[in-house]
Amino acid sequence: MKKWLWLGLCLISVLAQAEDNKIKVFAAASLTDVMNVLVKQYGQQTGVQVVPVYGGSGTLAKQLEQGAPGDLFISADEKWMQYLKDKQLVQVPTIKPWLGNRLVMITPQNKPLTIKAEASTDISQQAPGYWCTGDTLSVPVGIYAKQSLTNLGWWDKLKSKLVSTQDVRATLSLVERDECDVGIVYASDAQSSTKVKVAGEFAESSHVPIVYPMALLPQAASETAAFYRYLQSAEARKLLLSYGFKPLFND
Amino acid sequence: MWTLSPAELAIVLLSLKVAACCVLVLLLPAIGMAWLLARKQFWGHALVDALVHLPMVLPPVVLGYMLLVLLGRRGWIGSWLYEQFHIQLTFHWWGAVIASAVMAFPLMVRAIRQALMQVNPLLEQAAQTLGASPAKTFFTITLPLAYHGVLTGGILAFSRSLGEFGATITFAGNLEGETRTLPLAIYSLTQSPEGDAAALRLVILSVLVSVAALLVSQWLERRLLRSQR
Repeated sequence: MKKWLWLGLCLISVLAQAEDNKIKVFAAASLTDVMNVLVKQYGQQTGVQVVPVYGGSGTLAKQLEQGAPGDLFISADEKWMQYLKDKQLVQVPTIKPWLGNRLVMITPQNKPLTIKAEASTDISQQAPGYWCTGDTLSVPVGIYAKQSLTNLGWWDKLKSKLVSTQDVRATLSLVERDECDVGIVYASDAQSSTKVKVAGEFAESSHVPIVYPMALLPQAASETAAFYRYLQSAEARKLLLSYGFKPLFND
Repeated sequence: MWTLSPAELAIVLLSLKVAACCVLVLLLPAIGMAWLLARKQFWGHALVDALVHLPMVLPPVVLGYMLLVLLGRRGWIGSWLYEQFHIQLTFHWWGAVIASAVMAFPLMVRAIRQALMQVNPLLEQAAQTLGASPAKTFFTITLPLAYHGVLTGGILAFSRSLGEFGATITFAGNLEGETRTLPLAIYSLTQSPEGDAAALRLVILSVLVSVAALLVSQWLERRLLRSQR
C-alpha cells in the first residue's frame, strides 16, 4: 500500500513539472544580480514566475543547442547569438540589442592599483601577479579582454599568467578571494561587489562593442513576450542603469 | 593530421606529469593509512575509515572548494604558506597534483589495504620470532607480499588523476601550460564555438593515453606475477 502511495507521489510530481508554465530565461552570468531583481519584481506585479538560468553565454548556447528547454536567451556578446541564429535556434525577428557594458580591470579591495590601459604601460612590472578573466575562446568577457590586451600589446606578456574561468562571476569571486591579483570583468560586475576595486578601464575602441542581445527561443511559452516587453520598460531601464548597465532600447 | 601540435603535446605531458606526481605524493601516506586501517584496532577506526572514503562520495567541486578555503592564498593553511615561503598553490601545477591526490587517496588506500589483509600474519610472526624488528618485518615480508596492491592502487590513482576535473578546476584553476590538463582543455574547447574539431582530437588523445596507461599496468602486473613464481 505504502509503496503505491510513493509511486503515485512520484508520478504526480513528474506530471506537475511537465504542466507548469514557468518562463525560463537563459541569461549571461554577468546579469545575475539585476536579473534576480527584475524577475522578482515581475513576479510580484504579474504573478508569472520566471526562472533564470545563469552561465557563460557559450555554455548556455551549447545547452540550448542540445535541446535544453528555454524561452528567452540573453547573451553577453553577439557571437553566441549569431551561433544560435545560424542554427535557426532563435526567433530571428525578436533578436534585439538590449544592453551595453564597459570592460574594466579590478583588484582585491585591500590591494588597490591604478593601471592605465595604454600601450606605454609596462604591464608585467605594474601588475606582476595572476590575471583572471573568462575563457578567452568562449566566454564573452574573455573574448573582449583578449581583444583589448592584444590591442594594447599586453597579450604576449600576460598570456602565461592568465587564468580562464567558466564565466565572469567566477573571475569576480577569485579576485574577491584574493587568489587573483587582477581580474578583467564588466563595469557592472565591479560595481556589484564591495570586495573589489576598479584599477582601470579599457577604451571602448580597444574591443568590439559590448552588446547583450536577447531573443525569444523557438518553443517560447506565450507568456514570454510580455516579459520580453517588460525587460524593455522604463522601470527595467531605471534598474539596469543603477546596476551599471547601459540600456540600448527605447521604452 | 595525425601528428600532435606542440600545444597538444604540452597538454599531454602536463597531464602525465601531474598524474605521476600524484602517485608519488600518495605512495607513503596511502601505505601508512592502509596499514593503519588493515592492522590496527583503535578508537575512532570507523570514523577515520569514513573520512578516508569521503572524497569518493563528495562531489569533486566541494572538495575543490574545501581545498581553496584551506590552501588558497587567503586560506587557513594557504595564507601561512604564502607569507612564510611565498608559495601559492592555486594556479600552480602543484595545486593540480594536490587536487587529484585528494581525489585518488581513497582508491589507493583501498587497494593496498585489501592486499595487506591477504598477507598471512603467521609469516610476519615467523619473521619476528626469528629476530626481525617490526619495521624490518613490514618492509621485507609484508610489503613485498602486498606489492600487487600497491601497484593496483598506484594505477588507479594515476588513472583517477588523468581524469580529474571538478576539484582541479575549482582549486587549481584553468591556466594554460600550468594547470590545464586534458579534461580541462577538452572542457574549454567544447565551450567555444569553433572548438568541436579540436576537442575531438583531444578526446581521442585522452582515450589513447588511458588505454596506454592500462596496457602498461597489465604488462607490469604480468611481469610481477612471473617474478613471484
